[in-house]
Order: sequence, then C-alpha cells, then structure tokens
Amino acid sequence: MALRSVKTPTLTPPAGVIVSSSIINNPQSLRFVSASLAVRSNLRLKPSPSAARFRCSASSSSLTPQLRDTLEKLVNSEKVVLFMKGTRDFPMCGFSNTVVQILKSLNVPFEDVNILENEMVRQGLKEYSSWPTFPQLYIDGEFFGGCDITLEAFQSGELQEVVERAMCS
Amino acid sequence: MGGVTKEQVEASLTSKLNPVHLEVIDTSGGCGASFAVEIVSEQFEGKRLLERHRIVNAALEEEMKEIHALSIKKAQTPQQWKPTPPQDSSVTTTTPSTDA
Repeated sequence: MALRSVKTPTLTPPAGVIVSSSIINNPQSLRFVSASLAVRSNLRLKPSPSAARFRCSASSSSLTPQLRDTLEKLVNSEKVVLFMKGTRDFPMCGFSNTVVQILKSLNVPFEDVNILENEMVRQGLKEYSSWPTFPQLYIDGEFFGGCDITLEAFQSGELQEVVERAMCS
Repeated sequence: MGGVTKEQVEASLTSKLNPVHLEVIDTSGGCGASFAVEIVSEQFEGKRLLERHRIVNAALEEEMKEIHALSIKKAQTPQQWKPTPPQDSSVTTTTPSTDA
C-alpha cells in the first residue's frame, strides 16, 4: 500500500502496546491509536467504529500475535488467575461468583481479571483458551476449566490437589 | 436476535454426539440464552472432563453465539451413567472401572 511510506517514527507504538501495524498505516485509525494509548493505564481499550470495521475486514480472528503474547503473560502472572465478570469483591455473574467462593474457601491466593473492563482480552481469551464463556480459571498458566468443571473438581478434591501442586512448583 | 430453543440444542447434540441419554433444560426463563445439559455419550470414552466439555461446546458452536450460559451438569460415558443411581451421583470420577 502506498500509505506505508507515510509512516513516521513518531507513530511507532511503545513496546507492549497492542496495535496492529496496519492500523498505524491507516490514517483514519490514528485517532483510535492515540485514544487507546491515552486510556491504556487503566486497561480500557475501546476501539472506535473505524477500528472495529478494520478488524472485521482484516480477519475473523480477534487473536493477533501481540494479543496472544499479552494473554500468555496474563495467564502466567500468578499461579492461579481467574478471568471473570466483575471482581472478586463484586462478582457480576453467578457463575463467576461460584468460582470466587471456591477459591476463597480453598484459601488460595489468586489474581482476578475483570473481562467486562477489557473487550480485547474478553474476545481474545475465548480463542486463546478455546472456551466460549466466562469465568475461566487458569492454574499454573494452563486452562483448568469454567464454572462447572471447577465446581466438580472442587467437590471431588481434584482442585485442591492441582492447586497445591501449582503452589509448590 | 431470536434466541436458541431447547429443541435446537437437543438436535445439534443428538446429531453430533449420538447420546444414549440427553437432557436439556432451558434455564433462561424463556429468552433462550441459558441452558443446562446432561449428556451421556460413547464419544466421551477415555476423555477427561475438560475435553468432554470442549466436545459439547464444539457441538454447539453455532448456538453458543446466542447462548450466554451453558451449564454442563453431566458429561459421562454410558459405563459411568447409571439410570437409577442408588446413591448421590453428584461426585463423578473419570476413573474407568476395571471390574470384570
């Protein structure tokens, strides 16, 4: 594309920012880029309508290599990471709440990520985990399951074993 | 929008997983966005619970776009499934029985 030559060094995103290079090269999307950089500090990425259109036409997948990288770091940020609707103190969904209560009763330290606050993580993680719904529980960087699986594993004692093994590793 | 019906969920699961037992309950209160499923199928043989749930999710890939909550209450093999369990069957294990 001819527009590629327009790219200037000042538009290069800082490391760690998820922005497709093609968006950079699309002048229409520049406002989106600066907007998302501005709000990045609180992890709220709201794509503008033009960015959304771009994403749909570029690919049906919402999981870019950069996003996959980010998610990999996220799921490994703690031994136990729970991606949920709401927070551990204010769950916004009964299923998420169930898993929070299980983890609390096991007295296991865990990181909670509110996917309602980040649409990119929400969509990307569905693909990353090959799992269509939330909550999603990660133990030792590996997808453990959703609400039903976690509940069943809790009742059978398997969850305690897996968590203990993870905490000791 | 037009939600998913219980019959659609049953039809997809029946055609893809050929279950010997299937129970689909609409837990949405009518809008078709939430279901609970009990399913017993040969295809779960030798699969861990997570894999079994993945199989069910995959069979309902189209429907999942409209379903907000799918609760898989039971995903068992015919061997594990006892139609009239004498005791509480809420705790299931995936350990295959080796009894002759």
